[in-house]
Amino acid sequence: MAEQPYKRPPITEAVIAISFAAPIDSRDLAKVNSDFAKVYPQHQDARNLNLELVMPPTPDSSPGTNIQRDEIGHRRSSDDQTQIIIVWPSVFVFSQLTPYPGWDEFFARFARDWEFLKKAVGYRRISRIGVRYINRIDIPVTGNLTYYEEFLKIYPKLPQEIGPVLAYGIQTQLPCPEIEGNITINSASIPSPLLDHVSFLFDQDIYKETNVPQNNDDLYNLLNRIRVKKNEVFEACITDRARELFNR
Amino acid sequence: MTGIIVPTRRNLRALHAGIFPPEFELAFSSATKRLARQVEALRHQRSPTSRDQQALPRKDLAERLFDALASAKQLTASVAMYLDPARRDRLLRHLDSLHDLAEWEEDNEPLQQSSFATFLKAMLAVNPERQPGLGLSHAGHLIGAWTTDRDRLTIEFLPNDWVKWVLARYNKEDDEPRRFAGQTPVSELTEGLTPYQPEYWFSHEQGRQRQESPR
Repeated sequence: MAEQPYKRPPITEAVIAISFAAPIDSRDLAKVNSDFAKVYPQHQDARNLNLELVMPPTPDSSPGTNIQRDEIGHRRSSDDQTQIIIVWPSVFVFSQLTPYPGWDEFFARFARDWEFLKKAVGYRRISRIGVRYINRIDIPVTGNLTYYEEFLKIYPKLPQEIGPVLAYGIQTQLPCPEIEGNITINSASIPSPLLDHVSFLFDQDIYKETNVPQNNDDLYNLLNRIRVKKNEVFEACITDRARELFNR
Repeated sequence: MTGIIVPTRRNLRALHAGIFPPEFELAFSSATKRLARQVEALRHQRSPTSRDQQALPRKDLAERLFDALASAKQLTASVAMYLDPARRDRLLRHLDSLHDLAEWEEDNEPLQQSSFATFLKAMLAVNPERQPGLGLSHAGHLIGAWTTDRDRLTIEFLPNDWVKWVLARYNKEDDEPRRFAGQTPVSELTEGLTPYQPEYWFSHEQGRQRQESPR
């Protein structure tokens, strides 16, 4: 298949996330942040805080809180906010928003940034590799009902007697034997950013958590195999009518 | 086939209300509540890099401007597949210039995301050949203005998909302006402007003809 089969690919976000077995310490994290400033000029501190609210036994006492996780990270982005990285102590998140430049350019930027990261923090054992593509399929409205079944091959199956629906959301998890990993697919109706359209999310996360590659050659090879799989999954889940929408 | 009911303003409000109101929660078992939360999470997917999930609260002016600008640029990215690159770049430059810290008046509000979402919807639907000059209201609403000679169309893009428009056209006979105004959902903007021939402002050809005609 051609690299860019569509004039207007519906990809709203493409993400590669690499998780580490042990966290990066704050000094190394600061160095990574400063090294990336050259290519991602915009910076925001990021914080991932998980709290547990402890309800008191009686109504007259105050609730308490337990901090379960408190991570400080760095979010850096290009001036137009379409190229983003987030460096957490345990995860490196690499992202591209629309316009999606195609896999080759996306992958080349990832390889560059991965080298930057490794140079700054040294070898880290990788515990998970995931590639997530979030697509939004915008369907023009032609009447009071839109038959998403004409565009998508993944949706909830309902008895004719109780349809049509106002909204839906489904999640599917399945094995991905090609990489000895898994795929999570989320699909849902979502508010459309366009007038006279209804929009649907198609979000696939392909990841590997066992026998995870540790060197660059194996990592890049895995990412390329995931890319082939994500294209196959996407193409299998849409119809020709959807393809027409991406080429208008 | 079952299909989906095309959202209207009324059924959208009902959808936003959630699966069941919080005051009913006590009546359900913890297993049911956990299940409902999982279903709710499916309806409100968050992407791994979304800023609302991860950005720290920001207080000072520079940070508020940064947040507003970053949010607007990300909203632009969400529809960038429908914008040609030159139009997108021009819009991003406008946004940068609107949020210039050196020019900012302290008591103004930065661009509201909801107003900018209305603007994008309108621009993608109307698709004007001539792009508007952009400004910000005191409350952080985006304002677009098209000018042809002394005639002017101004649209304020309000939150939650509403627009307010004002137009002034000079009459050839008495050289006095005729003014018209309206406030409609953004989905009715084109219909609302139709009696006033909006192509006069939106089209290069129409604007040029008007500018070249003797007065």
